[in-house]
Amino acid sequence: MKTAEVPYAADAEVSLSFDELYVLRTQYEKELAQSHVTTQTMFNYAWGLVKSPVREDQLQGVQLLAEIYRSEPKRRRECLYYLALGHYKMGNFDEAKSFNSRLLEREPANLQAQSLDTLIDTAVKREGYIGMAIAGGAAAVGTLLLAGLVRRATRK
Amino acid sequence: MAQSSKAITPDSIRTEPASSSSQYDSALTSRLDAVSRNFFAHFNHRKRDSRQILADLAPVIMTPKMMAHAQTVSARPRAVGTSSTRPTLDFATIGRTPLRLGLGARRTTSRELEVVETASELLAVTLPDASSEERGMPSLLRGFEATVPSADTARARRRATRNVNAPRLGLKRLSLGARGLITEAPTDEAESEDDVVVVVARERGRRGRKKRGRESLSANKVFGREELERQTREIVRDKENLHVRRSLLHNDIVEITNKIEALDVIRTRLEQDLLKLQEDELELDDELLMVQERLELETSQNNQSGSIHPSLMASSRRRKGPAFLPSEHDELPPGVAFMSLECGSTPISSLDFSEPYGTLVTSAQDDAHPRVWDLLTGEEIGRLRGHVGTVKALQVEAHLCATGATDGAVRLWDLRQWDLSDVLEEAEEDGEGTGTDGGVVVERPRTEINGVRTSRGSEEDALGPCVRVLEGHSKAVTALYFENDTLVTGASDKTLRQWDLATGQCVMTMDILWAISHPSTVPAGHLPGFPLAGATAAAGAFALGLYEDFIGAVQSWEYALVSGSGDGAVRMWDMRTGQAHRTLLGHTGPVTCLQFDEIHVVSGSLDKSVRIWDLRTGGIFETVKYDHGVKALQFDSRKIVAAAGENGIKIYNRTSMQHSTLSINGHTRPVEKLRYMDRYLLSGGRDAIVKIWAL
Repeated sequence: MKTAEVPYAADAEVSLSFDELYVLRTQYEKELAQSHVTTQTMFNYAWGLVKSPVREDQLQGVQLLAEIYRSEPKRRRECLYYLALGHYKMGNFDEAKSFNSRLLEREPANLQAQSLDTLIDTAVKREGYIGMAIAGGAAAVGTLLLAGLVRRATRK
Repeated sequence: MAQSSKAITPDSIRTEPASSSSQYDSALTSRLDAVSRNFFAHFNHRKRDSRQILADLAPVIMTPKMMAHAQTVSARPRAVGTSSTRPTLDFATIGRTPLRLGLGARRTTSRELEVVETASELLAVTLPDASSEERGMPSLLRGFEATVPSADTARARRRATRNVNAPRLGLKRLSLGARGLITEAPTDEAESEDDVVVVVARERGRRGRKKRGRESLSANKVFGREELERQTREIVRDKENLHVRRSLLHNDIVEITNKIEALDVIRTRLEQDLLKLQEDELELDDELLMVQERLELETSQNNQSGSIHPSLMASSRRRKGPAFLPSEHDELPPGVAFMSLECGSTPISSLDFSEPYGTLVTSAQDDAHPRVWDLLTGEEIGRLRGHVGTVKALQVEAHLCATGATDGAVRLWDLRQWDLSDVLEEAEEDGEGTGTDGGVVVERPRTEINGVRTSRGSEEDALGPCVRVLEGHSKAVTALYFENDTLVTGASDKTLRQWDLATGQCVMTMDILWAISHPSTVPAGHLPGFPLAGATAAAGAFALGLYEDFIGAVQSWEYALVSGSGDGAVRMWDMRTGQAHRTLLGHTGPVTCLQFDEIHVVSGSLDKSVRIWDLRTGGIFETVKYDHGVKALQFDSRKIVAAAGENGIKIYNRTSMQHSTLSINGHTRPVEKLRYMDRYLLSGGRDAIVKIWAL
């Protein structure tokens, strides 16, 4: 895969305008009505959905990408990356990791995949830290309360 | 609240355990396993839970069909995921659980669950290897950039740059006026153009001084270097986009073509199935006819308490429905000769049998005594003595057999009567033959052996099988057909004779030469000036090499008679008047075999073709071509079985128009005669062997 052919993860954060997305949607639905959807239209729509900030759209985008993955063996390599990107944006780091690692197995030299990898790792770690912090805070509050209860009990 | 199911954990995620020693690690993790499994059991997501959740969330949507679909989606085996089912107990997972428990407060929708579930399933799908075909295809993102609507904006922008700030002309109003439409009052619309390049306007200060000629619209326009370079780049990019779109469309077209081809293959297969159904329907029609006939028969039998009246039963030649076969016949492999009978050493000249696994009579060239066989055992019962020349035509109906030979005589035989003396004589003559003629075994009749042998001199006096002798023809009898009490014979003296079997008298003689020279109707499809003399001459000078039979075949029904003769004509006679009322011309060689039913006449001739004619109009339905002359044929609504001068028997399927050949364990020399009833076929060839096939 040439480096210019797959977008960096930052591109996924930039969303399309509403009009553009609307046009893509109508195009997709028009082809759906004709019961022959070309892969390109499906991808255009899916990519537009993934880029949008609405979670429901992201989900739908990932679903469409999964559909492309299933039905077009030729496009599967690219879809792996896009699926990983989509899941990463949604926060499903496990799936994102597994898709990405699958891709890296086949193409270790892929720059975008590597960068996505590091991104996912950082995000996972960040969540972990936050979680630990919360757990720690909750534990601290819990012990304080417990201590208070015990003291009250012993005082009586 | 649903957590994701066990996903693969590549080694990059494991941070802590990787650093510690392996042994300590394994002990630790095993204990941790137990603890963690219990601890996290609550959060482990099982497949059935998701379906439960889905069903609860939207019971209306989750019809049984959807549930089944969800089940199949989740039940597909996950090759990679099953290997690591235990929860990964490491820093990251522990850390994230609080988030997932409390702070990740998002409503789980069915879509999310589906996405999550299918993710693991997708991973199980195999990737194709990196093949060269992918190099030619533009990547998805490239295609996106090429086809997204904003790709066209560059072009629009460039067009906008070429817009000139001209004074308002009111062009639209003009055009509407030209077309005759009513226009509104002209309003001053503000023209807004985003990307209008700054036009360096030349001061038109000194107006009025001189009326210059009007300059072209582009005269005042200067773009500037960067703008022009930008436009070049954009145009180049647009051209690339065009290429990308072209290759996308091309790929799509190729795919669609492949799909169409696959569908075409499926369609031809379905059409073949349709043809097969048609064939089955024809077979069922025949069976219905026969069953109805039998019904009438048996009801009439109940009414009169007599035996089956022979006239009610159609002759075996005309009977179409299935025959009575022993149950073992169904187990025979189709298309294979399962029995062979050796009949002497000379080519078989004719054969016929009464019913499957019944009695068979065969005659050979240069052998005046046809043999009688029992088809159940495959052994020769005896011989019919009486003729002095090759028996060229014979027909067997139940226990009656009629034979016509080159001595011009027609004999009737009763196959039930076997005189002992005949058997004894035969035993004497063929005593030495048991060694040489392989399959000829003389079977002693059921009656006890009489020690006294009475010498039978002339067969005419004998009480043997021969019941009647019909003399009248002057030359060899080459074709005959009898039904009930009417027998029709054709001979090389170019006449057809009709006989009454009850009295043994010749009722009518029909002369073919006379019919040729006095055609009652104009032959169908021929010019009025058809040279009759030529036909007569052909008939007169008739001697086509080895084939000498002027009348190749006859068949009759009530008073209608059809004959096929050596001049290639198939004639239809009315036996009440003795006139040929129709002649079917088309064959270019002598007609050797024919058969007709209510709708068609089928005739085969030495001109390597079989023609199917319409009985009522005389027009040709079909012509089937073969590689050699056709010597024998039989047809029904679904097939034509022909002996076409090859070792194999040719079968032509009339519904699918396909040819096939019976050759397994077949003849070693060309097939001469054949006859079949339902699924039981007999064929005799020049190798002097009669083979029995299961169809």
